[in-house]
Amino acid sequence: MSEITLRDLEKRYGETTAVQDVSVEIRDGELLCLLGPSGSGKSTTLRMIAGLETPTSGEITLDGADVTDQPAYERNTSTVFQDWALFPHKTVLENVAFGLKMRDVPKDERRERAEAMLERVQMGGYGDEDPTTLSGGQKQRVALARSLAVNPDVLLLDEPLSNLDKRLREDMQIELREIHEDLEETFVHVTHDQDEAFTLADRIGIMDQGELIQVGEPTEVYENPANRFIEGFLGDTNFVDSQVVGVTDGAVRVETELGYELVLPTDRNPDVAEGTELTLSLRPEVLSIERDPTADAVEGHEQPMLADGSTSNAVVGTVENVLYRGSTVRYSVSVNGTSMFAERTGASTDALTAGEEIRIEWDGTDVLAFRTDGSRVTL
Amino acid sequence: MAETNSQFPRSLKGVRESLGQQSGSNRALLLMAPLLAFELLVFVVPFFILLRISFAEESSDLVYAEGTWTLEAYSSVLTSDLIWSIVGYSFLLGIVVTVLSVLIGLFYAYAIWRSTGLLKSLLLFSVVLPLLTTLVIRTYAFNPLLSPSGTLNELLLSLGLISSPIQFVPGTVGVVVGQLYIVLPYAVLAIYSVLATMDWHVVEAARDLGASRPRSVLEVVVPQAMPGVIVAAVISFAWSVGAYAAPDLLSGNITFAMQVEGLMLSDMRYPLAAAFSVLMLLLMLVSIAIMFTLLNRIGGEFELA
Repeated sequence: MSEITLRDLEKRYGETTAVQDVSVEIRDGELLCLLGPSGSGKSTTLRMIAGLETPTSGEITLDGADVTDQPAYERNTSTVFQDWALFPHKTVLENVAFGLKMRDVPKDERRERAEAMLERVQMGGYGDEDPTTLSGGQKQRVALARSLAVNPDVLLLDEPLSNLDKRLREDMQIELREIHEDLEETFVHVTHDQDEAFTLADRIGIMDQGELIQVGEPTEVYENPANRFIEGFLGDTNFVDSQVVGVTDGAVRVETELGYELVLPTDRNPDVAEGTELTLSLRPEVLSIERDPTADAVEGHEQPMLADGSTSNAVVGTVENVLYRGSTVRYSVSVNGTSMFAERTGASTDALTAGEEIRIEWDGTDVLAFRTDGSRVTL
Repeated sequence: MAETNSQFPRSLKGVRESLGQQSGSNRALLLMAPLLAFELLVFVVPFFILLRISFAEESSDLVYAEGTWTLEAYSSVLTSDLIWSIVGYSFLLGIVVTVLSVLIGLFYAYAIWRSTGLLKSLLLFSVVLPLLTTLVIRTYAFNPLLSPSGTLNELLLSLGLISSPIQFVPGTVGVVVGQLYIVLPYAVLAIYSVLATMDWHVVEAARDLGASRPRSVLEVVVPQAMPGVIVAAVISFAWSVGAYAAPDLLSGNITFAMQVEGLMLSDMRYPLAAAFSVLMLLLMLVSIAIMFTLLNRIGGEFELA
């Protein structure tokens, strides 16, 4: 039973602001990932929850109790550090038993519990080892066991997987997910890796420049990003600059840098006027490639006709580059001199070649639009 | 031409191979040769001369009688109450100064480690600063500071904390302070050099797991700083037991180094001085061995009562 509430959390170091206006309610038993690029304040936020940093202002409550000024050793939170921070002069077992020793658990009992926890992370039998001789993955497991051994209300993970190689990292993600489901405890996991966040999280909180921009379930933040930063951070996309040339009932017409006029269907009155500059996002997964530029539109891709007879959600361009990426092939396409990219699954036998003229098309409702300040335009 | 070409590398290779076989021990030995020669010249040879003199008979017209063998010097050293009281005082001084310098050194080094920017530079600079003054002057400077009519006494008197001046100098308090001031920079630097390589996250991890501030230092910082603490303790102890300048300038009591100087330069009794020196050397070796064993044990699990 552990809910954490952060209210208007702010942390300044002299002139620089590391974290500001962070407010979020972390639900009991959920796994929340704080995701953001380095320097976005996600680790600082985690350290404030741990009590390793004192907020400049704001409030942290743990199960309703204000813990803002409580030192780390009085809080029942436990942190797994990025570099694991194992005690080098203690054995693996002593490391895991350390928190219990600090809680005055009798020697036999803490030994027993530490051994059980080592078993839990598949490190049974390593109790007498010197932690400095272990591999990265093993250190990671011991650090996890050490933090879990104290039965924390909240487990805080500060990029603990970022020092592992890709394969091991992916294994550990799944294992972490399993441990979380087993224990039903609240986990807060900090990472800069969006794949890791998508794999692990019940909810993702995205941070940029010290602010928590959006909190939501993985599908929600991916499909419905709050601003342009999130759209760009959560995966590859084509950002296309454009300007509104007409707002009619049910549609916003824009002139793009691709040299095409596009129509964005809308079911409300979006707050845009003629002349408003917009950045459109065209994710590769919403784009389809048609080899014959004059073919009929793919079914489902609504193509409103424009006054001059051309369709509104398709562009014709020349393949410039073919990038084979294993499961997908990425095509860099020049559309009237502006470059964009589209993807097809690698299994396709009719691979495109450079120089080929193709048509890229999409469904108008899949396009997201952002203002110049990065904010989202709800269409 | 072709033959000489192939011959040349082969012989070179042969030389390299034969060198390579020896390299394990010999090359390391070669690198150490200057150091070994130096040690031999300034320590081992003089020590054997000293040892030889300690077994010589005294002489009325020379500092010792050459070519004689006797245990007389040792028997008079070992049976002299004066000598044993000097040994006791020297060791007392050594132990007090060592304990203080290691404790203060730990705090000071920890403070340097934890501070940043200008403060860190200032703290480091103020450790090194005393080393820039000559030892005699900075030790003598405690006289005007600590003497009955000195600054400290005047301050205490004017504050009404004491009614009559206390004689810190000459006296044991003065020697301890003076000797501490001599060894402290080395103790701080020895401990700091180890702390500087330590990862602060480890201390944070201890606190995160429920260790209070002092507890986290005892559990995590001290055991890891042990190599530095041992070096600091050995430097402080060896230097303080054999101290000459501070006791000479600040003490009323006689220490081992002062007594040996008196025996050699005033009394001209070389065998006695040499025997006393050998005795002290043995006692020092034993105590440093004990110190190592005790401190090394703390490097492992540190159990609090």
